[in-house]
This record gives sequence, structure tokens and C-alpha cells, in this order.
Amino acid sequence: MKREFQLSSRREFFGQAAGTMAILGAIASQRASGAESQSKNPFAYDVSHLQKTDPKLIAYEEKSRWKAPHAEAKRIAISADDTLYVCSGNYLTAHDSSGASKLEIAATEPTRCCAVAKDGTIFLGLRDHVEVFYAKGQRKAIWESPGKKPWLTGIAVAENDVFVADAGNRVILRYDKSGKLVRRIGEKDKERNIPGFIIPSPFFDVEISHDGLLRVNNPGRHRMELYTSDGDFEGSWGVTSMGITGFCGCCNPINFALLPDGKYVTCEKGLPRVKVYSATGEFESVVAGVETFSENARACGPSDCTAGGLDAAVDSHGRIYILDIVTGDVRMMQRKA
Amino acid sequence: MNFKPANESTTRRTFLRNGARLFGVASLAGLGGVLASRSQAQNWVWQIDPQKCVRCGNCATNCVLEQSAVKCVHAFAMCGYCNLCTGYFEPEPNALTTAAENQLCPTAAIKRTFVEDPYYEYTIDEKLCIGCAKCVEGCNRFGNGSLFLQIRHDRCVHCNECAIARTCPGDAFRRVPASQPYLLKTTHAH
Repeated sequence: MKREFQLSSRREFFGQAAGTMAILGAIASQRASGAESQSKNPFAYDVSHLQKTDPKLIAYEEKSRWKAPHAEAKRIAISADDTLYVCSGNYLTAHDSSGASKLEIAATEPTRCCAVAKDGTIFLGLRDHVEVFYAKGQRKAIWESPGKKPWLTGIAVAENDVFVADAGNRVILRYDKSGKLVRRIGEKDKERNIPGFIIPSPFFDVEISHDGLLRVNNPGRHRMELYTSDGDFEGSWGVTSMGITGFCGCCNPINFALLPDGKYVTCEKGLPRVKVYSATGEFESVVAGVETFSENARACGPSDCTAGGLDAAVDSHGRIYILDIVTGDVRMMQRKA
Repeated sequence: MNFKPANESTTRRTFLRNGARLFGVASLAGLGGVLASRSQAQNWVWQIDPQKCVRCGNCATNCVLEQSAVKCVHAFAMCGYCNLCTGYFEPEPNALTTAAENQLCPTAAIKRTFVEDPYYEYTIDEKLCIGCAKCVEGCNRFGNGSLFLQIRHDRCVHCNECAIARTCPGDAFRRVPASQPYLLKTTHAH
């Protein structure tokens, strides 16, 4: 029997169309709800509440911001005349407080840390050795590599000594100004009650306070330690915690600076934040919280947490410069009035 | 009957017979080729690229097996042997002990063993691991990223179309040669 094609009436046509639309809508909504439930991870690792800082704790505000002149910025330092030095790429650059460039020194490999003596002599740390420059940028000396597997990450300059943090060998190296290795500080020694440094990732820093004692971060133990220049262990402070008062993850604090009154400015990765602690280690305030460094927080995650991180330096007025090593931003932070 | 020598000129019958033989040989050769390529295809297996993995949790829930063939593995050379292991402990643990409430893993599949102060070793009990990647996220976010997911081929049933790969939001699943079935993480320069 031959089936004849008949045109529907307008009423039938609209009725059928409405029915079809209703069925398609129901399917689409079911799929959408299915996709939503699928996208929700029942095993999510949620630290979002730790990424918000209580505004009452933030005691500093950003006054200016500029970019490091080269990619892969690592460390910053400030000289006695408040010139800011930036290690980025294969360069060491000097800047005034507005970021204007004053000097550029090219190295043969990535620059990793630096410090400037009172007379303007620049000590530049490369991966396995230190190079010394006159204030105007001419090379003065190249020091010998300290030995096997060095990974230099921090430098501090005293009147007669230069202290170098070697993350590869977990030791502070004390040199005289001519580059002669005088002493190894902080290696594990039960008889001298020295606990030893735990450096799970290459972040290891050293500074000298006005009291003449060395301040060194021991990131694997989540604390700061104090040593004499002869290597005697004097004390430590620090609490393991993800809360705002402590240090968390595999290794924090990663870098630090000292305020003119001896207080500490600590930098962390994972939860990238900069905080101020008293000279005896009590938490005081936040300079900048995780929300300030959102891109830095995201850098820790895709593969591991050695890609993120911050560094800080303090000028003679107590202003804090923060380097975001992910974005290359340098922020000048000033205490709120 | 008068037959002509075969080499002098080709009859239609000879031509067709030779043609049929040639076709048979070509068919056999083609069949052999197809079989060879199929057996070669069987030498490829699914694996997760740890650099692309986004720790979404799908590996735990989307595998055709009741307990996923995806497991957490540990690159000990990358591990910091941390006391506060963020792959082992909840984000804010009550204490750094092995008490259940402090552990991040929903099935307690990570074993924590004291090495020497302050180092601890962490090993995965694969019978308990469900491949949820919660520990992987904790390790990557705060640590050296030594924990990561891999398809364990003693468990994988080698589906032609992997059910997890179809829904992987990071596009981290790919086929790798069966002779090198794992994509391992290694340390990198800083």
C-alpha cells in the first residue's frame, strides 16, 4: 500500500514541534546536570580558605610596581645607598626606587643571588661560584668553586667576611673578602648541637643582623636559625602550620630579609605570602597575602612547587621590596599610616 | 589434438589461471600485512603523562574496573622525605602523626616510615590506592611533585577506547609502546 505524504495542519505542526522541543530540552538538561556532577571532584584538595588573608592582619600597602628587566628573575638585594639589585636571566641590574635602571652587568650564566658591601663592591652568586665586581660594574675577581655539587642561592656581606648559602651542600660558606674559604657553617654536628639544614628544594638564604649573628632559613624544619660567624648554633624559631602564623609545605620560609629594627620579613611559596615577625620570632603582620600573588600560587601545582616563590629586600627607610619570581614583578610596599 | 607449447602464446585459460594465482598470492601478502600491523597495534598501551595530569579525580571513578587500574607512584629521587608531607597530611592536621584524622588519603594507602630526624619515607600500598590523586595534588602544590599517577599494566585490561581517557580534562592519556609502558617524572634544573 502506498503511503501518502500529507502536510500537517498548522496546529498539528506546532504541537509536534513543541513536543520535540520538550524532549530535547529534557535530554539537554539531564546531560548538563550529568556534566556538572562529573566536573565536581569528590577527592578535591581544598585550601581555598587559606588563600584569603584577614584584612586586619595586612599592615602594608603597595606604593609602586615594575617589571624585572629580564626573564627568570631570582633574587633581589639592596645596597647601603638604597639601590635595588635584581638577579634576572644572565644579568645583574641596579635600579632606583622607581625602577629606573642604573647599571647592568652581564654574566655567562644565570645570576642567582647577590649582595653589596658598604663600599659598593658587588658579590654575585652564580650556580657554582662567586664573581666580584667594582661598584661601576667592572669585574674584580672570580672565586673558585667551593667543591662538589654547589648550588649557591644566597649571599650576605659583613665588614670582613662574605657568607654564601650553598643549597646543594646544605652549608653556609664563610669567605674572607679575597675569596679564601675560611669556615663551613651549619653542617650537622651532634657534639656541637648543630641540627643541620634540610633543603628539599633550592631555596636557602643568609643575612647578617646588626647584632653580628647570622640569620639562616632552615626550610625543611620550617624555621629560622641563628649562628655566630664561627658556626656556633645560637637558637631558632618557627612553627609548622598552614595557618598565617606558621610555615607550611615541604620547605618554608624560602627567603627572608631583615628590617632596620631586627624584625624578619619572610617569604613563602605554595601559599605565596610575605609576613613580618618580631626579632624573637612572634608573628606580627602580613606584608602581602596569597591573593596578591595569584599567578605565583598557580605556578605551584601543575608539576611541582619549585617554580613558584618570592624574595624580599628592605631599604634604609623600612620599605619592603618584593620580587615575584613567576611574574617578574617588583613591588615596593610601605607600612600603612 | 594439437597443443601449442605454453611459452609460445598464452591462452585465455592460462591467463586466467595465472591471474588467479597472482591474486591469491597478493591477497595472502595483504592479509599478512594487516595481521602484522594489528599485532603491532597490540604493542601499544595507555599511559598518563604526569606533566599534563590535572588531578581531577576521574581516574578513580571512570575506569571500567571496580578498582581503578590507575595508581599513585612515587619518584623517590625527587622526594624531600619531608616531616610535613603535604601528600600525606590533611592541609591542617591536628598533629604530624599517622592518626587517621590527619591523613589525606581516603583509603590510607600511603605508609609513613621514620628514616632519621627529620626525614620520613612515604610508600604507596597499591592494593589500597584508588587513583584519586588527592595526594598528588598536595605534593605538587606544596612540594617537589614526587607523587604522580600511572596506569599499572598488571591491572589494566587495555580497552581499545580507555574510559578514563575519554573524559580526561587534561588530555593526559596517550598510547605508549608496551616495551616502555611508563612515563616517569624526573628531577629538573631550577
